[in-house]
Amino acid sequence: MTHDSERLSDRVSRRKFLMTSGAVGAAGLAGCGGSSDGGSDGSSGDGSSDGGSSGGSSGDGSSDGSQAQQGDTETASGSGSNTSLLTAEGSSTVYPISNKGSSYWNSNAPPSDGEYWGSNSESTVPGWDEIQTDMLLADYFASQFGFEPTEQRSAPPFSTTVGLSHSGTGCQAVVDGLVDIGNSSGPITAELDWSEDKATSTVIDNVVGRDGQPVVVSQDVWDAGVEQLTGEQVRAIFQGDVENWNELDGVDYDQEIYAIGRAEGSGTDTSFRLNMLGSADAPMGGVDTRQGQNQQVAQLVSQNEGAIAYMALAFTSDSVIPIGIDFEGTLYEPDKDAENTIFDSAYPLNRDLHMYTLIEEDNPDGGGYDRREAAFLNMFLTSFGQQVFVEANNYIPLPTSDLEEMKGKLDAVKP
Amino acid sequence: MASVTDRDTTGGGGDLRRRLDRLRDFVDDTTPAALATIAVITVSLLGAFVGFLLVSPLTVLPFGAFLLASGYGWLRHQEETALVLTLTTTVSTLFILGLIIVFIFVEAMPVVRYESTTVFGVTVPGLRMFLQANWDAVSPPIRYSMVPMIHGTLMVTVIATAVAAPLGVSAALFLSEIAPATVRELVKPGVEILAGIPSIVYGFIGFTVLSPWASDQFRVSGQGTYLFVGVVVGLMALPTVVSVAEDALSSVPESMKSGSLAVGTTDWQTMTSITLPAAFSGVSAAVLLGVGRAIGETMAATVMLRGVPRLTEPLVNAFYGQETLTSLIARNYGEADGLQMDALFAAGVILFVTVLVISIGAQYIEWRMRRKLGGEA
Repeated sequence: MTHDSERLSDRVSRRKFLMTSGAVGAAGLAGCGGSSDGGSDGSSGDGSSDGGSSGGSSGDGSSDGSQAQQGDTETASGSGSNTSLLTAEGSSTVYPISNKGSSYWNSNAPPSDGEYWGSNSESTVPGWDEIQTDMLLADYFASQFGFEPTEQRSAPPFSTTVGLSHSGTGCQAVVDGLVDIGNSSGPITAELDWSEDKATSTVIDNVVGRDGQPVVVSQDVWDAGVEQLTGEQVRAIFQGDVENWNELDGVDYDQEIYAIGRAEGSGTDTSFRLNMLGSADAPMGGVDTRQGQNQQVAQLVSQNEGAIAYMALAFTSDSVIPIGIDFEGTLYEPDKDAENTIFDSAYPLNRDLHMYTLIEEDNPDGGGYDRREAAFLNMFLTSFGQQVFVEANNYIPLPTSDLEEMKGKLDAVKP
Repeated sequence: MASVTDRDTTGGGGDLRRRLDRLRDFVDDTTPAALATIAVITVSLLGAFVGFLLVSPLTVLPFGAFLLASGYGWLRHQEETALVLTLTTTVSTLFILGLIIVFIFVEAMPVVRYESTTVFGVTVPGLRMFLQANWDAVSPPIRYSMVPMIHGTLMVTVIATAVAAPLGVSAALFLSEIAPATVRELVKPGVEILAGIPSIVYGFIGFTVLSPWASDQFRVSGQGTYLFVGVVVGLMALPTVVSVAEDALSSVPESMKSGSLAVGTTDWQTMTSITLPAAFSGVSAAVLLGVGRAIGETMAATVMLRGVPRLTEPLVNAFYGQETLTSLIARNYGEADGLQMDALFAAGVILFVTVLVISIGAQYIEWRMRRKLGGEA
């Protein structure tokens, strides 16, 4: 027994250590919780002391005429000069656009840069003709919505950050007020199972680009001469009516079909079912594997024979080859110069890429944007943004009419 | 020694009375100041817990009081405070476990109700999950059958055990009984380092190297086979099995082995007829730990499997790998909502129950062996 009690005291001292470190950890957590509370108060700008004080102090320091005017028009302190971090989160499909925009924004390049912003003797950014300013990148876009230019590179008027999750998660996060912008590759009505009315009264749907969802095949299938399929054939493959490539008309290639789909219920999966198979809950009995990410699908297509898949355009490569699709007599080709291409808005597998913002009482005019959101989104709607962030990522830029409509909404927020 | 005291304390009413006596003794022996400190610690901690459950921002107040009281108590009444704090940690461990169990069961309820079916006029909730074998979360009829995933988990576990158990036990036998001391000192830490390699590394190698290779060699359409997931998971469980089994084997008293050798057996006969049987409970615990790891393994399975919940044909076909309980959760948690999310919790409940049964089984075997052999392992 004495032996036992000795061991017990030994254990107590070990537990003492564990317990103390646990308590320290918990105290640290409590600290984190407190500070993040304050942060979210500030960013949502509900007039709490936190948001007010941080916004106020930075505003006072650089106060001038325009700042004072804002103070007059707005009762809630700090939302006009609210320079807290702008957060976005959501779909991996919208991520390349959103994140590239955020990176450009945060670097706040000077107009002499030439590669990222402005023009010099060596290069000029696309769409510069319409801009022609001597301000830095983020300064230029932010100043249109009443922010003070910093005139410092790498120091934008407010910083932005983009998180990577899923369409549904992004929609939920923006509705819950966890982030400012929710990226989604599917409409919020489908992601959160909302009615059209609820969606229009809760969030603003900012479409920043289109995603063509090409059907891709592996190298060996392409080499066997499969350069185009009809919509019917794709349907038959993914619904399990066809198991071997040589069962298709005009294909002489004896190889089992390896059909790759996306995670059940993901944005890509839902829109493929809707646009290719006829309804959002169409059965897909022919799918041999399902993967969560575009990268995994691309990897699988490149390392397996007889593979066919559908995925975001940005992930195609030499061994993951997009094919043409013949929809009811119209052949959409994967070639930008063809008469009908998979980049057209008319291509049935194209879908809008959304950056949702929440309609909040304390936004200017009770609208869908605070000024940070409007300034950031406006960047994507310029010719510069469309070419650099959308087209350069292999997505489809918006037609002019859509751009004008969206810009009209943003203009209402301008001071 | 331990078993003797166990038997002493198993009396029902006397036990309770003795505890009350001890509590009264404790109160009598402790100074009022220490008692007050303990009371403050206990009350403030309970307050913090209630605040935590109510998600109140005021939680920080009782928690701060708890820290202050503990700090004070530590300086002034160290013994009593240590007693209370260690008790608290034990209780909270059990409590957190309880909360987790309640949570996953509650979350799984809707899908269990949805998958009710009627047998002989009696409605049994959740039974359809185990009778049919089709899973489809999107297109009607929407079904959340757990059969394909249970099948997948079983396949992977059986293959992994077939890899890990013989390799692990024989490696442990070699290390403990045959290898020279220098080899043992070098190899054993090496094996333990192996156990620390993150599972995604194994999964990544499986996804990019093993799976495409297997799909070529076995002429399988596409990649992802239970066979190779099982092999990879088995290799991952191997270090655990080797390490625990080696401990068990080397704790067999030298006197038993010497006695056996003295009556004229060879080294090998001693190993098979004395050392292994004596350490059997420890060795089987090692294998069961390996099995537990195989069942719970997530990353490698998620990356390597196909992710389409479906039975293979025939059932023993290990060359197609569909989905396991863990990979189902890992693959779908981000996109799932509503009933699909609840179905993932149902998969979690099944995993929980399985692991519970295995660990109780391991304890039972250990207890049986200890009673039978009286060995220390």
